[in-house]
Amino acid sequence: MSSAPATSDLVSLTIDGVPLQVRKGTLLVEATKMVKQEIPVYCYHTKLGPAGLCRVCLVEVEGTPKLQIGCNTPVAEGMVVRTRGENVEKGRAMVLELLLVNHPLDCPICDKGGECDLQDYAIAYGRGSSDLADPKTSKPKAVDLGPTIVLDEERCVVCQRCVRFDDLIVGERQLVLKDRGHRNMIATATGDPYRHNFTGNVTELCPVGALTSKTYRFKSRPWDLRRTETSCTQCSVGCRMNIDLRHGNVLRTMSVEGDDAVSDWWLCDRGRYNIGYIDSPERIKQPLLRRDGTFVQIGWDDAFALWAKAIRSAIDAGGPERVAAIGGGRLTNEEAYLLARTMRSLGVKNLDWRAGRQRQATPGSSGGTLLDLERAGAIVTIGESPAELAPVMDLRVRKAVRHGARLIRVAAQEAPPSMPFQDVADVAAAAAAIPANVTRVALIWDGVDNALAHAAFAALSREGRTLLTYIAGEQGNARGAEAMGMLPFAGPGYHVADAGHDFDGICDAALSGKIETLAIFGANPVLNSADGAHVRAALQAIPFLVVTELFMTETAKLASLVLPAAGAFEKSGSMVNLAGDVLPTSAALAPPDGVLGDFEIVVGLARALEIELPDSDEIERATIAAAAALPVGIAFGDERFAGAAKKDLSGEGLRLHVLHHAFAGGGTLAHDERIAALQPEPTAAFAAADADRLGIRAGDRIDLVGAGGTIGDLLAERRDTLAPGNVAFVGLRSGSAANEIAVGSRVRVENIRHSDVPVEA
Amino acid sequence: MPVVKVLTDGIGEVDLTDIAIYRQRDGYRQWERAVRELQSSEVLDIAERSGLRGRGGAGFPTGKKWSFLPAGDKPRYLVCNCDEAEPGTFKDHMLLERAPHLVLEGILLGTYGIGSHHAFIYIRGEFKRGYEIFSRALEAARAAGFVGKNLFGTGYDLEVTIHRGAGAYICGEETALLNSLEGKRGEPRLKPPFPAIAGLYGMPTVVNNVETLAYLVPILRNGPEWFAAVGTERSKGYKIISISGHVRKPGNYEVPLGTTVRELIEIAGGLREGRTLRAVQPGGGSSACIFEEHLDLPYDYENMAKAGSMLGSGAFVVFDDTTDFVKCAFNLVRFFAHESCGQCTPCREGGHWLETVLHRFVEGRGLASDLAMMRRVSSTITGLNLCALGDSIEPFLKSVLQRFPEQFEARVLREVASA
Ligand SMILES: Cc1cc2nc3c(=O)[nH]c(=O)nc-3n(C[C@H](O)[C@H](O)[C@H](O)COP(=O)(O)O)c2cc1C
Ligand code: SF4
Ligand code: SF4
Ligand code: SF4
Ligand code: FES
Repeated sequence: MSSAPATSDLVSLTIDGVPLQVRKGTLLVEATKMVKQEIPVYCYHTKLGPAGLCRVCLVEVEGTPKLQIGCNTPVAEGMVVRTRGENVEKGRAMVLELLLVNHPLDCPICDKGGECDLQDYAIAYGRGSSDLADPKTSKPKAVDLGPTIVLDEERCVVCQRCVRFDDLIVGERQLVLKDRGHRNMIATATGDPYRHNFTGNVTELCPVGALTSKTYRFKSRPWDLRRTETSCTQCSVGCRMNIDLRHGNVLRTMSVEGDDAVSDWWLCDRGRYNIGYIDSPERIKQPLLRRDGTFVQIGWDDAFALWAKAIRSAIDAGGPERVAAIGGGRLTNEEAYLLARTMRSLGVKNLDWRAGRQRQATPGSSGGTLLDLERAGAIVTIGESPAELAPVMDLRVRKAVRHGARLIRVAAQEAPPSMPFQDVADVAAAAAAIPANVTRVALIWDGVDNALAHAAFAALSREGRTLLTYIAGEQGNARGAEAMGMLPFAGPGYHVADAGHDFDGICDAALSGKIETLAIFGANPVLNSADGAHVRAALQAIPFLVVTELFMTETAKLASLVLPAAGAFEKSGSMVNLAGDVLPTSAALAPPDGVLGDFEIVVGLARALEIELPDSDEIERATIAAAAALPVGIAFGDERFAGAAKKDLSGEGLRLHVLHHAFAGGGTLAHDERIAALQPEPTAAFAAADADRLGIRAGDRIDLVGAGGTIGDLLAERRDTLAPGNVAFVGLRSGSAANEIAVGSRVRVENIRHSDVPVEA
Repeated sequence: MPVVKVLTDGIGEVDLTDIAIYRQRDGYRQWERAVRELQSSEVLDIAERSGLRGRGGAGFPTGKKWSFLPAGDKPRYLVCNCDEAEPGTFKDHMLLERAPHLVLEGILLGTYGIGSHHAFIYIRGEFKRGYEIFSRALEAARAAGFVGKNLFGTGYDLEVTIHRGAGAYICGEETALLNSLEGKRGEPRLKPPFPAIAGLYGMPTVVNNVETLAYLVPILRNGPEWFAAVGTERSKGYKIISISGHVRKPGNYEVPLGTTVRELIEIAGGLREGRTLRAVQPGGGSSACIFEEHLDLPYDYENMAKAGSMLGSGAFVVFDDTTDFVKCAFNLVRFFAHESCGQCTPCREGGHWLETVLHRFVEGRGLASDLAMMRRVSSTITGLNLCALGDSIEPFLKSVLQRFPEQFEARVLREVASA
């Protein structure tokens, strides 16, 4: 791909008098960029390809009497192209005049004003006046399309980028063009709210101010925004992202045009819209110490001193085995590195980033890039599919499927995807389902069941086939945390270290009184682990629990000391995404007064412990080296990463699965009221056979009861892809009882309330 | 009078919807002969040598169109376009209702000629009667062993699928038709790729008009030379002309191409008493008018183009001296604006704008400046659109604005006009 094209693949032409050579098949609109000229476009978009609708991209090709559209005309040998000149200007000016005939020109109150392609092209190529003598048609100006987007029909230039995005990129086909002629308008096909994980992209694709985000409407003008480019850290894809601030407030996030390697120019709605928490009044802004059952505010110096004292006395009393630290998946590489190094310098080996259900983040030496993924001929998913865990990665999966890849899901519990797929029972069946002529297979795993991953790798490996592995897990920088040494058995760069306890082991040790102090950096295991009740009991048994957090999470509430930490946009560093790309993160704003970044928190602790720290150059060198280290010796589904044997969870009833959802969970998502509209309704999905047996209809309300508690008032759904004997719960939230029943344990259905109107399954 | 009976043979005399009667008149004989005795390439060759050109509007040589299909073993399809909605055209549904077996035999021959096993016929939604008649004809032909598996024991299979449209003129445009047939929104596709390369369900496809396909039957029966012997140099054979407007006997008349414009008017009974001719729209609503100086032109593809118009689908509308050309122009522009799918800026916005302005003229509220605006806008949008509908807005309007400016000027508001 990176090799220079052979001369036979090149075509020579001239554009506006400038000779150039480009690859065969290149469209004039792209070739023109190479000679630093512009062909204006509305319907064309590099990622969507030509549509040929708006007709603003007119160019003149010598020897062709009619003007041609630059967006759908490929280069040809000897072609002479003019992007300006009388004919072109006349046609283009006509198109612009026509677009303005019924355009409201309410630029002064339009969010797009200042970054609008209609404004820009009208000024650059328009006529400046119009013969319009009739009133403009008026159309609805604030159509509520769904939880994220508002449509102004008058401003729409009907370029259909939004429609084509929904079809070609997302595959949802929710947005359509309704009616015809000048009456046509954008709407959802069914009339239902426009809703999926990628809706916000249409506000960026829209060349005018027709589609606007509810979170940003009427908030700012583009020239008042200050932009910082960074990486989204909300999941392990690490999409490149621009953050726009006005007067120190984050107003919006935007994708980064040209980011082919990671985001493919898109963002998911979680990454895009989960920004309201940053200035939530509920953020913790001062260290809090538990005293007589309540939290009191203390200063940072006191906090560091108390914490250091707890660590010292634990080590003095029983050795470093009595100390533990958890974190990394939400930290930068630098923070994770410094944390691991500080702890190891004290002899502490009980280090782990894994406080949820994921066991492994590094896919081994077979790990593929995101670009590789879209070129796979078959994609096999084991565990949960990446749709909710790594949304923008799922767009690559969809792209591959669109290009003909076979999508095969092993024992999937989640909803069927909106693309062709095949569900199989086990990895052997998956291997059998791959067509013999497919030479590139991608294997995507959620990082939970190592034995399954190991078996899948073995089953799919074949002579003459490239097997690329991916782990789409729970936390943004999980792979970075592993590379930085936040593992109980490996230091930075995966160098084997003296083994300590993993998180499960730390919990078990805590329950038998063997852990004096544990520090948890940016994790909420009480809500997110497989067995919340067990974790809660363990944490309660620890005399001095320290939690660094933005909010009073379920876990923070159990702490002796809660330290207010900076959010992702408030600190700089780097991360390693699921494909191994090392990505910079840049602070867009300073944390609130009284709040420190985790890096400064570790530094403060180290000082209080009088530990000598490396200087910043050395930290940088060490993190770069660790992030670049090849994961040699790490297998896909490596047994060293595997968890302890599961408790016996057999018994009567249905097996409980708790599925991820981009907008489910606690943490930052719980602190933005606008996100609340995107959160899934707590739902329990049943296999049709179980639903029939239990008399459950879609739309009913039910309770799930298991050892540990009751998850009440769930919406029942029937799902054909679910294997009988299982129930899939979606919609975990802060305060939900779901985490009190262990994932994988047995539950029974109680209190079925039939809905009056059955909902179609 | 040069009126002939080729496709129209028997129509109005016998019940050609009855398969027995159709067969008594040699029906399905060419079909049987083709399957038993001819290679599909021979059928293509016959079509090519006959000089048959598309009767749907564009007049593209039929055999040449078929030859664009790439070789290979991808499935390929023939689609018969029976959406007939061009203003003034009413020949296809007559054939569908009155000679359904002829239409079907033509479809079968065309399908065979392109080496396909599956034909579709897209029938305009309003043609309920034609749809029912054709459906019965198809069933009868299937029962008689002309459609289905292992035809005439040769191992050749052919299936025909009927699809009803939902009443949009744009679905007659071949790529909009394919989208509609696939269950998508009926809007034209960006070309290339052309249907011959990626048509129905992405497969190589030929779209042909009802009349085009029907002519294959007599061409096979009488030989390509018989057809090519009639007509003018590049417009061969016969054509059904739908003559309407200010004539005494409007209707469908089958004639050799090259019959003069004057003869066509006479065939349809001539003008009414005391009326004089003002204009003829010779090729459907999309075509520009021709005038008395064109009366002796042969009615064929080349001469109509030379006169600044086109033959189109053969819809021939006659206007006498009682005609209000402002209303006519408004009516047609409103039609195109209403039927525009709205994808392209020039067609969508330009059509609507012109309709709005013309509506004011009809009401006597024109502005002097509107005349230049209409000329400028209608001519600039022509050629900028994705499909030919957008380019159909200008021709009639332009020709009557030029020929009858006084009719428009009379509708300009006085005070404003003098201001
Ligand atoms: C707006 C529009 C409407 C059309 N409607 C019809 C129609 O109703 N019937 C038809 O045969 N062709 C129609 N056509 C022409 C078709 O696109 C196509 O050229 C024709 O079906 C090809 O058949 P032929 O080669 O046998 O003429 C239409 C074209 C346009 C642009
Ligand atoms: S809403 Fe925006 S993106 Fe969608 S068609 Fe209209 S102008 Fe284009
Ligand atoms: S896919 Fe992940 S990294 Fe990308 S925008 Fe969404 S949450 Fe952020
Ligand atoms: S020219 Fe008109 S009808 Fe044809 S595609 Fe464009 S908008 Fe649709
Ligand atoms: S950009 Fe070429 S037609 Fe719209």
